[in-house]
Amino acid sequence: MDLMKIFVLALLVNNIVLMRFIALCSYIGMTGDIGQSIGMGTSVTFVTVLATAVTWPIYHYILMPLNLTFLKILVFILVIACLVQLVEFYLKKNVPGLYSAMGIYLPLITTNCAILAVTFESIDFNYSFIQSIVYAVGVSLGYLLAMILLAGVRDRMKTSQVPKFLQGTPILFVATSLIGIAFMGFAGLMK
Amino acid sequence: MKNNIIKLGLILAAFAVVACASLAVVYQVTEPAIASQAQDALNSSLKELFPEATSHEDIKGAVSSSDETVKIEEAYLVKNDLAPLGVAIKATTASYKGPATVLIGVRLDRSITGVHILEMSDTPGLGANAASSTYYVDKAKKITFPGQFTGKYITDKFEVKTDVIPITAATVTSKAITKAVKVASASAGEYLQAMALGTAAPSAISGASQEAAQPAAEATSGASATSSGSATTQPAKPAAETTSGASQ
Amino acid sequence: MSEEGKDTRSFWQVFKAGLVFENPLLVLMIGLCSSLAVTSNVSNGIGMGLAMTFVLLFSEIFISAFRKLIPNGARLPIFIIIIAAFTTIVDLVMKAYFPDLSKSMGVFIPLIVVNCIIMGRVEAYSSKQRVVSSIADALGMGLGYTWVLIVISAVRELLGNGTFAGIQVMPVSYTPILFFILPPGGFLVFGLLISANNAIKRSINKRETLAAKQVSDQQKAKENA
Repeated sequence: MDLMKIFVLALLVNNIVLMRFIALCSYIGMTGDIGQSIGMGTSVTFVTVLATAVTWPIYHYILMPLNLTFLKILVFILVIACLVQLVEFYLKKNVPGLYSAMGIYLPLITTNCAILAVTFESIDFNYSFIQSIVYAVGVSLGYLLAMILLAGVRDRMKTSQVPKFLQGTPILFVATSLIGIAFMGFAGLMK
Repeated sequence: MKNNIIKLGLILAAFAVVACASLAVVYQVTEPAIASQAQDALNSSLKELFPEATSHEDIKGAVSSSDETVKIEEAYLVKNDLAPLGVAIKATTASYKGPATVLIGVRLDRSITGVHILEMSDTPGLGANAASSTYYVDKAKKITFPGQFTGKYITDKFEVKTDVIPITAATVTSKAITKAVKVASASAGEYLQAMALGTAAPSAISGASQEAAQPAAEATSGASATSSGSATTQPAKPAAETTSGASQ
Repeated sequence: MSEEGKDTRSFWQVFKAGLVFENPLLVLMIGLCSSLAVTSNVSNGIGMGLAMTFVLLFSEIFISAFRKLIPNGARLPIFIIIIAAFTTIVDLVMKAYFPDLSKSMGVFIPLIVVNCIIMGRVEAYSSKQRVVSSIADALGMGLGYTWVLIVISAVRELLGNGTFAGIQVMPVSYTPILFFILPPGGFLVFGLLISANNAIKRSINKRETLAAKQVSDQQKAKENA
């Protein structure tokens, strides 16, 4: 599949949050504030691309030749955990401003389903290295997009009257459902 | 302080080693089952396409796709004992939301024995109906979307709305699958042609069936007949007719 | 349950908590990640529920059993190793013996390793409690997770496809409402289910406060008499 198609499919048509239900924990938890959403979204984008760039060669040049493919789950999650730790150390030392802005999100990113999902799927779909990177960028930008959208909606909801039985979390899911319906319209993009 | 880190590292390594070792054991136990799944699945699909099949031979190296958007993943020469029955090809192309994979069978007489949808990730209720066994494009005759390809000749047009009935509201999916079937069956035809002419790559075909297939190739592909010795055509023809009769 | 000390509740009490009042999906709001995606039909829902429960149970057992041996500094990586190991076991076993289900659930089985419930319970509970309590917690949380998945997938499959675990239930003349099988439908059903669970909790709390009030009123009446 050509790169543009991979990107658009990942970003819109098969949006990781709205169409595939992945990364919901952080989606619900971190969209109370638009600034928070953008922070989380960009952090995830950075780590996802980095993780894909590291795990893809590990799988193809180490695990496969040595017939250790069954260690994929273990190795990938540990790699992601290490990467997040390294990024945290590096930022703390060298870019303290960015660290304090991103700081709270970093530990949470390790368990973000989207990152692991992208690393697994780059393997399952038999993507080349370049294709995997494009896929990673598309998916994580799709995540960022979904986060920003819900944060915006939540902002508006603060001044609207939510029916009693939907107050709290239920209304968030109803809102997501509606945003999702709108996203289904993107399906027509691909010919 | 340094000792502490080393100690932590060692304990971590110990846990990792135990974990990896246990996984290696589980993998050894489950691997045969996983490998045979794939083999069984292939055998049963081939058997559905060619009920008389007893064996198959991998001919992937000898088959190529004429269209770069359709990728040929696997190709087999399906046989009953040593006599070839036809070719089965597994091809993938991009569909609406993701890849669509089909398995088609082509007989020696260049007719399609059947089409199976192996992978389909399009919208349920729309494109996904291609893989549904209860969705009929021809409700009266109860023909499913892939089912309509059975009996078509590889030289047919393969155009949606002309000779192929599309799935309602799923034109992209219909076109994608039709394209995959068209390209795969053309490749199968090319292989059968080459096999008949003796120019195919590895194939363990007995002499008798090769000669029988030759006149059959001439009969159906008309224009591209390049075999020498038309003198042999006459006596071999009745043999060809009986063979094609048997493989129907 | 005290955070610092040992959990003194009985096995049954710990087990019950995970089912309703501390239900991971509806109350604690964790483990959402890989959950909704597998609720488009009941078979997937049950499969995921049981797979998750297996990984949760054995991870909790192991981590609780070895909790004295796990140094605080390397706690998280070791948890990850153990959880990843059991997830891999489930993945391999399903690929070998339940290939159709495995294929149908796809990437969501390996994703169990980052299911917030497992990491959450292991960190908050079984790394500090006895093995028996951990077993109760794992079973309660796991089954609490599973029943919610079954309910959501039952609604989605029945309304969206007319079937239940593949068996035709709705009359053939029923035109399935496709919406429910599609992702937005999943979100809607889940939102309404949380709302329903909240309502149930509110009414139970109301009854309890009312009963407590009645008891204290009676006592006051006795004292004044």
